[in-house]
Order: sequence, then structure tokens, then C-alpha cells
Amino acid sequence: MFRQVEKPSLPPDRADKTVAGFVSFAPEHYREMKRKNTVRLLITYIGPLLILIVYFFFQYDSLYNESRQLHLKAIAENQANTFDLFLSERLVNISNLIDDPKLDLPPSRPAMENYLDYLRRISEAFVDIGFFDSAGIQAAYAGPFPSLEKVNYSTEEWYLELKRRPKQYIISDIYLGFRRQPHFTIAVSRIIEDQYIALRATLEPDKIYEYIQSLEGANEVITSIVNHEGQYQVVTSHMVNPLTNAAFVPPRDVRHGVGEAKLEVAEVPYAYSWLKNADWALMVIWVNPQPGGFFAGHRPKLMIISLAMLLLGLLIVLYRARKVTDLYIESEQTRAQLEHASKLASVGELAAGIAHEINNPLAAINEEAGLMKDLIDPQFGRDLTRDEISRRLDSIQESVFRCRDITRKLLGFVRQTDFDLRRHDLHGLINDVVDGILGPGMVISNIEIVKKYNLEIPEFTTDGNQLRQVLLNLIMNGIDALEGIPGQIVITTGRVEHNLYVAVADTGKGISPENMDKIFLPFFTTKGVGKGTGLGLSVSYGIIKSLGGRIEVKSSPGKGSVFTITLPLD
Amino acid sequence: MAGKIRLLIVDDEIKFLDSIAQRLEMRGLDITKATNGKDAVEIARTRKFDLALLDLKMPGMDGKQVLEILKKEHKYIEVIILTGHGSMDSAVDCTKLGAFSYLPKPYELDKLLEILKQAYESRLKKKFESDQSRIQKLTDLAQGTSALGILKAMRELDDDEK
Repeated sequence: MFRQVEKPSLPPDRADKTVAGFVSFAPEHYREMKRKNTVRLLITYIGPLLILIVYFFFQYDSLYNESRQLHLKAIAENQANTFDLFLSERLVNISNLIDDPKLDLPPSRPAMENYLDYLRRISEAFVDIGFFDSAGIQAAYAGPFPSLEKVNYSTEEWYLELKRRPKQYIISDIYLGFRRQPHFTIAVSRIIEDQYIALRATLEPDKIYEYIQSLEGANEVITSIVNHEGQYQVVTSHMVNPLTNAAFVPPRDVRHGVGEAKLEVAEVPYAYSWLKNADWALMVIWVNPQPGGFFAGHRPKLMIISLAMLLLGLLIVLYRARKVTDLYIESEQTRAQLEHASKLASVGELAAGIAHEINNPLAAINEEAGLMKDLIDPQFGRDLTRDEISRRLDSIQESVFRCRDITRKLLGFVRQTDFDLRRHDLHGLINDVVDGILGPGMVISNIEIVKKYNLEIPEFTTDGNQLRQVLLNLIMNGIDALEGIPGQIVITTGRVEHNLYVAVADTGKGISPENMDKIFLPFFTTKGVGKGTGLGLSVSYGIIKSLGGRIEVKSSPGKGSVFTITLPLD
Repeated sequence: MAGKIRLLIVDDEIKFLDSIAQRLEMRGLDITKATNGKDAVEIARTRKFDLALLDLKMPGMDGKQVLEILKKEHKYIEVIILTGHGSMDSAVDCTKLGAFSYLPKPYELDKLLEILKQAYESRLKKKFESDQSRIQKLTDLAQGTSALGILKAMRELDDDEK
């Protein structure tokens, strides 16, 4: 129904040639501006920085973790190979003994002692050595458990497994056995002279653990070995005891791999590699399960640097926001000063303008009177006819009225404080002007006055006469702008929060940009002699300002102008 | 050259223009009227004037601009500025631009006539001095030189008359 008048655009973006009726800004405006500036700058400066830092951290962490995992996997494979080799060598050591052609069946005790010596020279992990006859009885033994000699092993798991297997050797899982102490068995079997014999050595888990520890070296990893059931075979005593179940069982079908294991505190990446010689997997985890690496020592430093960068950015932003706002305030102040100066100038211009506007008709009167005197002066020998006198006097009167108009309007200009405030209906006031004062003339001049009223506007307190005067001025200006061409004057009313507005729009010639700044100045007019005093808009401006409102204009040359009055509701 | 003083009056107040023109005509001046600056400049290009009376504040081309053009295009013309403006600043500016004098509105006719007389005298004097120097130059050029020199000197004199 009615068009919403745009909110006044605020300087300095007065690009669309809006003369905001010299609006001055409240401190909230500056605070709001400062806030907006700060937020804008924060987003543009700190935002990308923050994103970059976060991205850097995350990206680096994930890359680092990936490379750590690969590294861990490589370590696991490497250690598994070495350990496999170790087991192969032990196997070969024992095979060498059983294949010794000088082997007696069963061997003598000194021979066994010799064999054990031989083995222990090669590896301290060897504990003892035993020879088993076809019945599975330990027929010969050398080592710290002599009571095991002559013990029947035929139902022992490793023995049964060795017999069952097509391969002629076995490396057993850790077990307690008859000696009630954890140990491993490496056994090889042969059939010699139709007898099934077996030679086995046991190995001490602690020694194997020492060996594995030597593999760990400076790798900062913890290595352990589990069997296919996930039972620890060799493990650091700091963690758990052997024979307990590991927290994780590596998948059997993939030979090497990485995974995440749940340890007491956290998810820990581990790498595993299945061995070839035993049904075991070698597993490694990092000594320090928290990813650190490059960051391990540098992380706090990096955090401090990042924080410092952020802080610096923040300071710069705050400083700049402040600076921008200060600059804006300064420019606003300059503008206000300039405005003040131009107002001062316009007082001077007012005086000069008054002189000019009155002196011109006075000069005309002077000439008319002088001419009449000349005409009756016998020196020139002319006649002064009745018509001539009448015409001259008319002209004199016209000039007198011009002077009177000016002084009358000047009074309005000066006496802006005497207001007769009453309750008024805005639309009633507009109708008074449109229908009462202008009324019939409009039909003749082909000007259509369109009313777009927002009827929700309540009565308000104002000076009716003064406001009618302003409305009349604006409508008359609109009519003048049409320059006799048929057109429209659209009067729109509306309400924005605690203000009402009246917009008077014409479809006339518009205001040229160079005149835009001058239209509210007293005595500025683009109308011809005697047609405009140049006081209408300046008087209107003064009245509206005194009523606590403001008056604004938007115009596009050739298309028309819109004058908008904004007044506070009570 | 003998005869009436040729005066161009420029003012946008038509009634004022009419009566002042009539009064000055009754006092023996040859008056031409123009109601705006543009017309004034155009008219001055077709006819010769001794003096011009310009209103300072006019819509379109104002008195100051007309003054500048007239002084540029016409060597001997004297211009008197009329102003209704309370302040004399712009009128003083005009004298710097070559106006002979200025007169605030409203004025006494005798005062205007006095200024017109002085301006006309000034114009005649300028014209006379200039003619003298031209004649001197012409004589110099003509002495003992060819017919071509004389012709050239005469052409210069012609140009000057424009």
C-alpha cells in the first residue's frame, strides 16, 4: 500500500546526493560503528590466522601420526625379521647337535654337558638340553633341573605337537612345564635307526627379553611378543607378566600391520609382524604413546608463538578499529565544523541576500517614480497619460509586494521558536493543504496529487500552521519542478518506530548535483525573478528542525525529487 | 563616431530595464536592451557599443562573465556594474576585471549619468590615444617604404576598428 521510505543514509557515503538534513550522530552511533569495525577486522584478520593455526596443528598431527605409524610398522617388521633369524639360529644350533654323527643314543651325560656348554656359548638364553627316546622319556639331560631326567614327556603338549607335525622341529609357546617356571622349548626330531628321537633345549624368557630389548635400541619403542591367542610370550615386566593376555590380538591373516590398542590410559597405535618360525607376533608400541615427535619438545613453544601471534593480531585489530573509528569521528567533526562555518557564512549570505532581494525592487520603484517625474518634466516635453500613470503605479505596487513577501518570510525565518503546539492529525494537515489551499488549481494544470496514507499514525503534538506551511512549500516546489508538464505529486506517510514521516515525491526535473548542497540555503533559488524568494526550503528546514525533526531530499535529475520530513511522535 | 552614446543595458528585471531605458533615451542616449547575459554577448557581436551597464546577479550567465567576454572581444568598451547586493565585494572584483565603475541599486539617476559621462570620456580618451599611436605607427611604416608597408599598416588599423 505505501512505500517504505529508505532509512536516511548516513554520511560520508553521500554518494546518492542525499542531503541528510544536517544530522548529527549520537555517541551510540560511534560505539556501534566501532563495534562493527572491530568485528569486521577480527573476522578478516584473526579468522584466517586462527583457521591456519588450527589447520596446521591438525594437519601436522595427522601427517605426523601417519608417518609414525609407518615408522612403527617398519620397526616391527625389522625386529620380527631379526628375531626370526635369532630363532632360526637357535633351531640350527640344536639341529646341528642332533645331526652330529657322533651322537650316541642316548648320549652320555658328559656329552650332554658339552652340548649345553656349546649352546650357552652361542646364546645365554639356553637353559638346559634334553634327549628324548622313542617313548618320550627324557633319557639324557644337562642343566639346572636334573630331577627332570627320566621324566616321561610323551603327553606334554610340545612333544605331541612335534610328533604330529610334518616339520621336524617345534618352537613352543611359553609354558610352565614340570619345572613350574616359564620357559620356551625348541625341539627337533629325527628318526635314526628306526627310532624316533628328539632333542630339545629350553630358553629363558628373560634372556629372550634382553635380546629383544637390545633390538629396541634407541627406537623408543616397547617390543613384546604374543602368540596367536593373544597371550604374552615375551614382554617387559614393567607392563605385564608373560602368560597374561594382551590387550590386543593382531589379526592372523595379515602378516604386517598397524592398529590401535586400548591400553590403560589411551588408544595406542601399535605395529605387528607375524614371525615365520613360531606362531607368534612381534608387536611394538611407542615408549611415549602420546604423539609428540617434532612437537614433543616444541609443542609448548609453538603454542606460545601461536598465542603471541593471535594476541598481536588482536592488538593490531583493536588498534586499527580504534584508528578507523577515530578517523571517522574526526571527519564527522570536521564535517560538523564545516557545516557550522557554512551556517555562519549563510548568515552573511542572508544579509547580502536580503539587501539584494529588496534593493532590486527598490531600484525598480525608483526608476518608475523617476520616469513619471521625467514625463511630467516640461524639459522633455512629454505627456503623462492616465494609463501610463496607472501602469507605473501598478509596477511600483508589485515591487512593494515583492519586498513585503520577503520581509514576511524573513519573519518566519527568524521567529522559529514561537510555536503554537496542539494535537493534530497529520493527514488532516496534509488534506488542508492539498484540498483546501491548492485544490482546484491542480486539475487545471494537469497535476495529479496521489495520497498514500498510513492510517496507523496517531495524533501528535505539533504546530499545525507551521507544518502546513512546510507541506505547502514542498508541494509547491514539486509543482514548480514539473514545469507545466502533466505529472504526479505523491504524498506518502508512514511510521518508523517512534517517528512519523511524510514524503513528497514529484516526477519533475529533479535537482542537479551541484545545487544539492545549496537548496536549504536562504535566498538560493533556481526560479526566475519575482517567482521564488529562495526562502521556502530554508524556512521549512528551520521549522522542521525546531519541531525536533529533520528534512531530507533525494533526487535524480530528470526523474524527480523526494523530500522526506521525519518528525518524532510524542 | 559623432552622435549618441551607444549603451547596452543588461538586466533580468524587465520592468526596471524598460523604465531605465526609457529615461536614458529621453536624455539622448542610444539604448539597446538585453534581458540576459547570453543575449547581451550575442548583440554586442553584431553592433558596436561605447558603454555597457550590467546587472551583476542574473540567471545563467552572470554580470561578471558577461563583463569578461565584452572586455575580451571589444577593445574600447567601458562597462559599469549595477548591483543590488549589499556587499560590494563582487563589484570590487569586477573593477579588477576591467569594469569602469560600479553602482549599488537603488541609485540616483544623476549619479548614474555622471558615471556614464566619465566612462564615455574614458572610452574616448582610450580610443584617441590608441588612434594616435596607430597613426604614428602608420606614419612610421609608410615613411620611405613600399606600398606594401602602407597596406599592411592600414590593415592593422582596420583590425583595430573592429
